[in-house]
Amino acid sequence: MAAIGLLAAEIGDREALGLILDEMGHHTHGAGRLDEALEFARERKPRAFVLVDGGGADAESLTRELLRAFPLLPVVVALKVRDANRAVALMRVGAAEVVAPPWTPEDLKASVSKGLRYQGTILSPERVAPLRRSPLWYTLAVGLFLAAGLGVASLKRAEQNRVAAAARADRWELPVRHPAGLAFDGKSMWVVDWFTQSFYAMSTADTMISVVRHLTAETPVSLAFTGESMWTVSADGTVMRRMRDYKMTPLSSYPKAAPNSAGLAFDGLYLWTLDAKAKIIRKHLVDRELTEIAAYRWPGVKAAGLLFDGKLLWTLDAADRRLLGHRLERPDEIVVAVPLPEYSSGEFVATGVAWDGTRFWTVGEAKDGKSPARLVRHKEESR
Amino acid sequence: MTRAPFFVPALLRFPASAARQDGWGRLIQITAGGVELSTAVHLEKDADVELQFELGGERLSLSGRVLHAERDDDGHCLAELRWTGMLERRRLARVLVDVLARAART
Repeated sequence: MAAIGLLAAEIGDREALGLILDEMGHHTHGAGRLDEALEFARERKPRAFVLVDGGGADAESLTRELLRAFPLLPVVVALKVRDANRAVALMRVGAAEVVAPPWTPEDLKASVSKGLRYQGTILSPERVAPLRRSPLWYTLAVGLFLAAGLGVASLKRAEQNRVAAAARADRWELPVRHPAGLAFDGKSMWVVDWFTQSFYAMSTADTMISVVRHLTAETPVSLAFTGESMWTVSADGTVMRRMRDYKMTPLSSYPKAAPNSAGLAFDGLYLWTLDAKAKIIRKHLVDRELTEIAAYRWPGVKAAGLLFDGKLLWTLDAADRRLLGHRLERPDEIVVAVPLPEYSSGEFVATGVAWDGTRFWTVGEAKDGKSPARLVRHKEESR
Repeated sequence: MTRAPFFVPALLRFPASAARQDGWGRLIQITAGGVELSTAVHLEKDADVELQFELGGERLSLSGRVLHAERDDDGHCLAELRWTGMLERRRLARVLVDVLARAART
């Protein structure tokens, strides 16, 4: 059983981390100040130290001080606020590992284990000596290069013509009439149609449909993609995590986790859902229960979509015909609003929004419900 | 091949289309061709990642593609990346030779 030192300014943090470390089988000693921590380190010679950054404590200077007195002591820092630049800065001053919030036993265990087996980066230039080749090889290589060059040039020209033709258009009529959501998987734009209970993947160049998936037992209303999974929401509020395979194989089901869903989004850590009826944005941990850890009042009129673009959460307000930008820390506040003049005529009602890395896309349902739905690629400067 | 007395920390950035927050990790092995990386962030094969780190007093920013990724015994992601940007890759090769030459002299 290894002795682990714990330095956190706030007693709540000491208790939370101490409990996790004790459960992992370590003997933990909590300290509120640096001098207490140093005294413990001198007396008990701990295997590692866990520090909390934030809440009045600056882990950067604490790490430096601890390592000055005990240079070989692995120091693991637990962040109270997720900040990648801060994490890298802490590792530069000597922290063996940095744990992001929320502190879970799995993350902490992994980081402490890593810290205890701390080594160093292997550096190698890895240069490969050039091989000696015959003149015939060079002749063939040059010939092949020229042939490939001609082929690539003609393919590029055909592709440029196709992209140029597609770029002139920014709105397309779709072969669906009741779209409920929109999402981008990194390559294709996916439209959810609740009436046909289907998902349609289409090219962002010319909206040519490449994939159609049909669900017989559910009425899908929203969709989002994470690294290895796709997440769908049904009309009854059931959230499903699925494999990104041909059958969209279900992996987990969370009944009634997202009622009245207007959209869902993943920020790399948390899953966010938007309740259109209650006008609430919910933040969920991606755990076994999809635990809701926070709820925020949504400040719009008629919620129709939700996405994360890498910086901000964006919601689609179909009544005001606007996209609303929110910070992850305060989703109940609007930091920027982007009008959608493409919907000003009132012929279409926006029902979904997506972000392809450079531009917003929306999908709209015809007001009469009989005409084809419309997909719109918005102007780049609209963000 | 030389082992540094510390793991080089790196900032992980993803393309805008991935819509992911920045992450961080440690470089297990750096070569002019690629890198082996340990991180709490989940990485999958063929994902594009930009790594920012300091080596030999120089700040480097290299784009790479994940060739292989797996969970290690601690639950962290152990990934192997191949550099994709030629210019920065050449700069890294120069920095590596410089760092290793200095290490050999001492």
